[in-house]
Amino acid sequence: VSEVVTVALPKGRLQDQALEVFARAGVRVDPAELASRRLWLDDQRGRVRFVLVKPADVPTYVEYGTADVGVCGGDVLLESGADVHAPLDLRLGRCRLVVAGRRDEPRDGLDARATARVATKYPRVTTRWYHARGLPVEVIGLSGSIELAPVLGLADRIVDIVETGRTLEENGLEVKETLERCSARLVVNRAAWQLRGPALRALVEALRAARPGGPGDVDGDAEGDR
Amino acid sequence: MPSPSARVPAGVQYVFGAEARLRRAIERRVLDVFAGWSYEEVILPIFDHAALFEGGLGQGRARTYRFTDHEGDLLALRPELTTLVARTVGTRLRDEPSPLRLCYTGEVFRFDPPRRGRHAEFHQVGLEHLGTDRLEADLEVLLVCAEALRALGLPGFRLVLGHVGFVSGIADALELPPEVREALREQLERRDAEGVRAALAGRAEPARVAELARLATLSGGAEVLDAALDLVKNPASRAAAAELRQVLDTAAAVGLGDAVAVDLGSVAGFDYYTGMTFQVYAPGFAASLGGGGRYDRLMAAFGRDLPAVGFSLCLDWLADAVGRAGLAERLAPPPRAEVLADEDLAGLFRAAVAARAEGRQVELAPPHAHAPQEGSA
Repeated sequence: VSEVVTVALPKGRLQDQALEVFARAGVRVDPAELASRRLWLDDQRGRVRFVLVKPADVPTYVEYGTADVGVCGGDVLLESGADVHAPLDLRLGRCRLVVAGRRDEPRDGLDARATARVATKYPRVTTRWYHARGLPVEVIGLSGSIELAPVLGLADRIVDIVETGRTLEENGLEVKETLERCSARLVVNRAAWQLRGPALRALVEALRAARPGGPGDVDGDAEGDR
Repeated sequence: MPSPSARVPAGVQYVFGAEARLRRAIERRVLDVFAGWSYEEVILPIFDHAALFEGGLGQGRARTYRFTDHEGDLLALRPELTTLVARTVGTRLRDEPSPLRLCYTGEVFRFDPPRRGRHAEFHQVGLEHLGTDRLEADLEVLLVCAEALRALGLPGFRLVLGHVGFVSGIADALELPPEVREALREQLERRDAEGVRAALAGRAEPARVAELARLATLSGGAEVLDAALDLVKNPASRAAAAELRQVLDTAAAVGLGDAVAVDLGSVAGFDYYTGMTFQVYAPGFAASLGGGGRYDRLMAAFGRDLPAVGFSLCLDWLADAVGRAGLAERLAPPPRAEVLADEDLAGLFRAAVAARAEGRQVELAPPHAHAPQEGSA
């Protein structure tokens, strides 16, 4: 059994932020390695191997144990429904998962409809949220440019993540309701948590100290994704 | 649209060849260990009344495949086997003296979206020890489980103990309402100490909440239980920690020390568990291979109020773990047959029958044998 801990990182924006937190926690990647286009990176002490995957795939890699640990957005974790532990809020990539619609939406227009049509990249979360409220919903799965859907009349509403709300605003949309506050989580494979407990708990504690705001609840844990 | 004969519904499996041999070999070894500890096999029905299974699975978790019989009664394919053992003991074995030691092997069916290793149909091998609420029974089933895993040669397996009473003792002492308990359970499931703290916020002194949150996400060896006994005051949680301590000590005394660990925040498992629980892990396999626990109240619903403890292992996952550990060939060596050929049919069969009488494996190559043409039907 290899002692190297495999960490699945989401390619893109979160990857660099996460690598910074790992570096502060003492897990550093040689800049030369970083510059390469390889999809895996070893840390300088050879204890951690990062694999770079599509953000939505991180929970899958961890659930299947291909990676022991992963970093993924709270929205991604929620949508995946993956059976993994999520022991730490990394306080990166904060956003809100919201229901948004047109600013000029007719006041009673939606209530009169039997079924809301909702466009989203988060079909699972959306369906669950509407059903939990006893609201019939027709979920339209899209993979990008979600904001267009209400503008063009494809959907009444969208469920999507917002950070500043600017994109919504520029497309004539506004937040109607907040489903969830999200931030990036450290996720851990269940079996790895039991079989490699000491190494993984040490990593969690090092990252807890190294994340933005440090170990304590600087700006309140209530802001985490729950 | 492919023809119906080519389409396989999601979650079902066809197993053949080396994989089928391996599963049977594992099943036999595990059942042999169970028999060695005097567990008697019960052969159980594939389906029964749907209502029977509702006590075990809990709301919104695994769902059953349901259908009606000719009288309109709602039936379900069995989603687990413990309930059926309980029913057997409560009815047909009502007058058998306890303790009863029973084991089973068979497929269970759960209507879950297929994901990692979770099929709609999978095979469980397990046992139940009914009639004693003493720690001896908990220890016995743990030891039987460990022996079964050893019999398969699985290296580095670990039995991770939890106890329903630990967290519920804390929840009762803090008088948590149901929705807070549910939130607590969710956060424990994630092993998120901060989430636990948020769920308990305002229910006790902040320092106390922080302590409990740390504790509930601890796992490891005896030191975890010592920390728990130092910190927790409510009698139910203390009793739970003390029980686990005794289990750990005994396990260490029989040479299982390295294979047993404790996870106080472990809340997974069936709703009917009332005491010690455990999950089985092995290197190279991404999830638990099985698990079990004590269920002292389930039997009362079946008319015979007996405390009980049991576990099951998932044969599909055992086969996977054994394969990954490179043990498949050793457990289920490829068959080695003598190929017999003879132009004279009577002579051929005489030789075959004689070989079989000596217990040898034969494969007949009859005269004029020809390979079927590829593609001809």
